[in-house]
Amino acid sequence: METKRFVVIGIAVALVIAVAAPFLASGNPDGLESAFFSIYEAKPFMGSELDEDAAGAAEEQVIATTGNDFSYGALMPDYSIPGMDKTGEVLAVVIGTLLMLALVFAVAKVSARPDN
Amino acid sequence: MHIPDAFIPMGQALVYWVIALVFIALALRWARRSMGEEKIPLVAVLAAGIFAIQALNIPIPWGTSGHMVGAALAAIVLGSPFAGVFVLTLVLLVQGIIFGDGGITVMGANIVNMGVVGGFIGYYGYTAVKAVIGNAYAAAFIAGWASLFISAILCAIELAVAGTFPLALGLTMMGTYHAVIGLIEGGITAVALYLIASARPDILERPTGVSA
Repeated sequence: METKRFVVIGIAVALVIAVAAPFLASGNPDGLESAFFSIYEAKPFMGSELDEDAAGAAEEQVIATTGNDFSYGALMPDYSIPGMDKTGEVLAVVIGTLLMLALVFAVAKVSARPDN
Repeated sequence: MHIPDAFIPMGQALVYWVIALVFIALALRWARRSMGEEKIPLVAVLAAGIFAIQALNIPIPWGTSGHMVGAALAAIVLGSPFAGVFVLTLVLLVQGIIFGDGGITVMGANIVNMGVVGGFIGYYGYTAVKAVIGNAYAAAFIAGWASLFISAILCAIELAVAGTFPLALGLTMMGTYHAVIGLIEGGITAVALYLIASARPDILERPTGVSA
């Protein structure tokens, strides 16, 4: 398969995953978050009920423990666009995928040896 | 497995940043020496695909979920652990800065866990297992699984040092969840390697040795 065709198919596959992700992705906390909530007793280790109050208290407790209260407002927090619903989530992941493509292309172009 | 800002004290976060920067410098050196013009679009597509699939959290039992990291895949396909560092550093930068996924102060720790450990365990795990059992795709599955599992174990240790997780509890929970999430990583790594090997066997630095 020639490079151009491989790249086009690759981008198409990435975009299909990007569009589908917001609809298919699990709303459950990921492994690290889940471990965190379980350790702070906001969620059972082998169960799914999350106690929102305990989860909030756990977050405050962690900041108090580590003293790292740095906070940062991302442009598209949690792969969503503020004020937009599902469409915003799809757009966010699609924008991220295209941005990734451009960024890696640019960084690779600058860092790769030009004579090869 | 993206650590948020609050989970590691600032001083320790800085230490992980220093370690990460050493590996980022080595990854850039790898890119300069080993990544030719013809490979650049392919690396960019691989990174875009890894970003998209990372956004897809797959449910696992016990009310939790997990997603692929992709460092092992990048390292295996491009034939160097530093390829994993290169791709994951850029993925984590975009995730942290644009999408608030993973902290900024702790990004160094995230790069070490997912990029460096993922890339090295993925690449050397694949090479070693393939030498023993001969099957590239089985080796990719095992290396993918191990890269994620060991990243999670290291993450639990870092959070214990940070005072965020008690060691035994952190290891048990991170280990259990990620032993399962690793199956997703291993499965996608093997399937993606198969698809790439079928479409473009020439991209692979080391042939899979299996006729696709």
